[in-house]
Amino acid sequence: MHNISRSVTKKDHEPKMSGRSVYVGDVDMHGCLFGKLLRSKYARAKVLGVRLPELPEGYTYVDRTDVPGDNNVNIVMDDTPVFARETVEYVGEPIGMVCGPDEGVCQDIVDRIEVDYEELEPMLDLRKADEVFFNYEYGKGDLDAAFAGADKVYDEEFQTGYQEQAYLETQGMMAVPEEGGRMFVHGSMQCAYYVHGAVMRVLNCGPADVHIHQDVTGGGFGGKEAFPSILACQVAVAAHKCQKPVRVVFSRREDLEFTSKRHPSLCHYKAAVKDGKVTAMDIDVKFNGGAYTTLSAVVLQRGIICANGVYNVPNLHVHGRALKTNTTPTGAYRGFGAPQTYFAVEMLMDHIARDLGVDSIEFKRQNLVKKGDATSTSGLYHFDVPLPEMLAEVDQASDLLRKHKEYSKPQTGRFRRGIGFSWHFHGAGFTGSGERDMIKAVARLHKYKDGTVEVLASNGEIGQGLRTTFPKIVAHELNLPLEKVFYDHPDTSRVPDSGPTVASRSLMVVGELLRRAAIKLRNEWEDGKDQIVEERFKEPDFMIPFYLDKFQGDAYPDYAWGAQAIEVEVDTLTGQAKILGAYASFDVGTPIDYNIVMGQMEGGFLQGIGYASIEHMNYDDKGRIRNNTFSDYLIPTTVDVPNLNVQLHVREFPDGPYGAKGAGEVPLVGAPGAYVEAIEQALGGKVSLEHAPFTAEDTIKALAEEDA
Amino acid sequence: MVNGFYPQNLDEALDLLSKHDVVPYAGGTDLMVQDKPNQTYLFVGKLPELRNISEDDEYVRIGAAVTFTEALASPLVPQFMKEAVSRIAAPAIRNAGTFGGNLGNGSAKADSVLVEYATGAKICVASVRGERVIPVERFYKGRKELDLAPDELILEVLLPKLGIDDYYYHKVGGRQALAISRVSFGGLLSVEDGVITRFTCAFGAVSGTVLRYPDLEAQLVGRTVEEARGASEKVIASYAERMQLTRGRVSAEYRKDVCLNLLGDFLASKGI
Repeated sequence: MHNISRSVTKKDHEPKMSGRSVYVGDVDMHGCLFGKLLRSKYARAKVLGVRLPELPEGYTYVDRTDVPGDNNVNIVMDDTPVFARETVEYVGEPIGMVCGPDEGVCQDIVDRIEVDYEELEPMLDLRKADEVFFNYEYGKGDLDAAFAGADKVYDEEFQTGYQEQAYLETQGMMAVPEEGGRMFVHGSMQCAYYVHGAVMRVLNCGPADVHIHQDVTGGGFGGKEAFPSILACQVAVAAHKCQKPVRVVFSRREDLEFTSKRHPSLCHYKAAVKDGKVTAMDIDVKFNGGAYTTLSAVVLQRGIICANGVYNVPNLHVHGRALKTNTTPTGAYRGFGAPQTYFAVEMLMDHIARDLGVDSIEFKRQNLVKKGDATSTSGLYHFDVPLPEMLAEVDQASDLLRKHKEYSKPQTGRFRRGIGFSWHFHGAGFTGSGERDMIKAVARLHKYKDGTVEVLASNGEIGQGLRTTFPKIVAHELNLPLEKVFYDHPDTSRVPDSGPTVASRSLMVVGELLRRAAIKLRNEWEDGKDQIVEERFKEPDFMIPFYLDKFQGDAYPDYAWGAQAIEVEVDTLTGQAKILGAYASFDVGTPIDYNIVMGQMEGGFLQGIGYASIEHMNYDDKGRIRNNTFSDYLIPTTVDVPNLNVQLHVREFPDGPYGAKGAGEVPLVGAPGAYVEAIEQALGGKVSLEHAPFTAEDTIKALAEEDA
Repeated sequence: MVNGFYPQNLDEALDLLSKHDVVPYAGGTDLMVQDKPNQTYLFVGKLPELRNISEDDEYVRIGAAVTFTEALASPLVPQFMKEAVSRIAAPAIRNAGTFGGNLGNGSAKADSVLVEYATGAKICVASVRGERVIPVERFYKGRKELDLAPDELILEVLLPKLGIDDYYYHKVGGRQALAISRVSFGGLLSVEDGVITRFTCAFGAVSGTVLRYPDLEAQLVGRTVEEARGASEKVIASYAERMQLTRGRVSAEYRKDVCLNLLGDFLASKGI
């Protein structure tokens, strides 16, 4: 293993473990105001009027009429209002905010506000939804000929549900008017410059009139990519009106009900098979975008690009739509559209194999892509595809191949076993040419006179270790002890825009900029002198340009790879499944810190298992999410899984720092396919399982079908 | 700021309870979560009279403020109760949660209460007016409705000592720890000289209260194991017909399927 992979104590370990870290919820609130949101009671309604009770002195009501600039939050599009317009589009949509010195009094006022609504018919059914937010279509080869010449055609529909990020720290944001009219916004977030752009637009001011600081952030998992922009705009408008600092920290209930979560999906697959190979797939993907577009465009892009999985499908047609429903807007969550389609394609491959009477792992292996093959978007797999070796590693750890055959034989008795397998990639970094055309990342190093070096970048530490790994890279190139290099939480007034903290791009892209900057600094180093060096993003030469209008070209420079096996024992009396073993090999390139990467791998794997099994969340016929506490939305505990058996397979990416690629998403995205296949095998394999999460209740229903 | 009284002994506690509008607070594992404003508490968790586990000829007597962790460590508490209690939440909550609290919260999902139903336990309550001993199934009058006057305090659980070694228990939670029961099942079946002398079945977390059907249980009592084996299908069918379950975090159908599956497994495990 590379020297740099050797684990160190994380820079933020001590303050976090000792409880000294200051989160936005810890800020001293003397002289500051609390904000409580007035939220829509209906999924769709005209707001005819808002009748306020008499407000005590020091309390203020804020709504869209108080927005100095545009009442729209800049995300990918600009359709999300800061405060509701004439109509509300989902249960919980913020209509206004009550600000004041006592949080309880604010809530009491919110509870006493009377809103006159004219109820409108909401759209709550993804199947019937007809307002299309985004519509993408691409393909290659000759689909009709492939289906006409097929030995057999398969047709199947798959569904996945919500998943909530369940970060430890709920969403929270604070806006502070500064002298000279500047607005300071700080809080829990992933992307300081996203927030910066959004607040500028809402306050109708220039870049220097606003600055954004990321506070210590208690987890994000994508949930703090776009949503903090909305909350930041709301507190900034409130602070602008009140001319006092205003803070909103969500209760867990608000956070579970009203913040973005993973898109529910409905995927329809048609596949043609000839001579034991999949020759064509015709895929229709629908994502439930909720009431506003937020990140649905980019989530959908990633989801449809990997819709054929890791299989070489020469004739392909993919149609993807993100649809509007009158529900909480969905958004980013670790994996970003990919877990939905990987689940579908992995289950489809299992079902085809079963129908053909062959072992599904063998069938998948025969259809696997390899170096030099075309990608779904007619780009190229430029580098080795290490999945066959990774399957061997998982097999070595789990005895997968033998168990997979053994458990497929008929089983009797109360407890029955299954083992499922899935493999997948996760495209490293932004989809398409976003890095080159939109982000244009800039990173700097500031060397002080005393020889310490500060990393200047806008990427946020959210537990993934950037405050440690960025300095590690720089210290390594400068031959400095790690203590001499530091990276603080970004403030947009002092750091350049090195892009958002998303898509595992921070380490791969910004980490490489910092490595190059460090080399530059090393060459220019002068003792006792204050020096600044800068590096800018440059796209690797080998890439086939990606065109979003056609979905053609290299969508990603390289891929992280994953192979996972999950072994379960199902209690046929209760439907409960016990996980006997969970095994994986992940290729994220060179780990910049072994322990940090292993923490990511195990944590992501566990989130994937939760998504597949017990993390059930839905809305009712009024559009209300009822799973709004941690007793109604269950995530796995440590006793729900055995020790996760994870190993790293290192296939370096030449353009990442020391060969590092993206690490964040890959451990999560494949777990549902492996888990549900395992359940399917344990239940007897006659009934095809087609949705996740697959709960104990689903198991009892499926058993009844198996017996029928 | 929390308002409350800290009585030093039971008499003082009962006196306070008779004079003030207070909520008895033992471990607080439910009340802390509820966090109701303007509530005044009567802190009874340290009252020596509520902290004992003892036994007499007929009963193991578990004080209302005995914690689940303490019960798990006690040689007097029977295995049936220990098994149910060991599945409650997680260690930190078992260290604080009490038998009295599990009862007083009034939930049909209370894991210790299921065992009290299955074993025919009694609940002893006290007030300045005196003491009462009530069978647990009468103590629960309905969903979150208890036969407990505002001035009464739960004193102890009287768990029968005899005939409860041969039990069957299973909890279905949403996960392996920190999980409220979605279905819980407990039963007793005693056989003497080949004849069934006792048969009980309690179903938790599937309705407003824990459910028991004594008339259906009577179908097997007095029969030989062989006779019971012949009648088991009919017995299960009689439960299927009678059980009117409510939906909760899972559907009523799932609850019923699991209840009947576990009942069938319970009987099969006894050779019936």
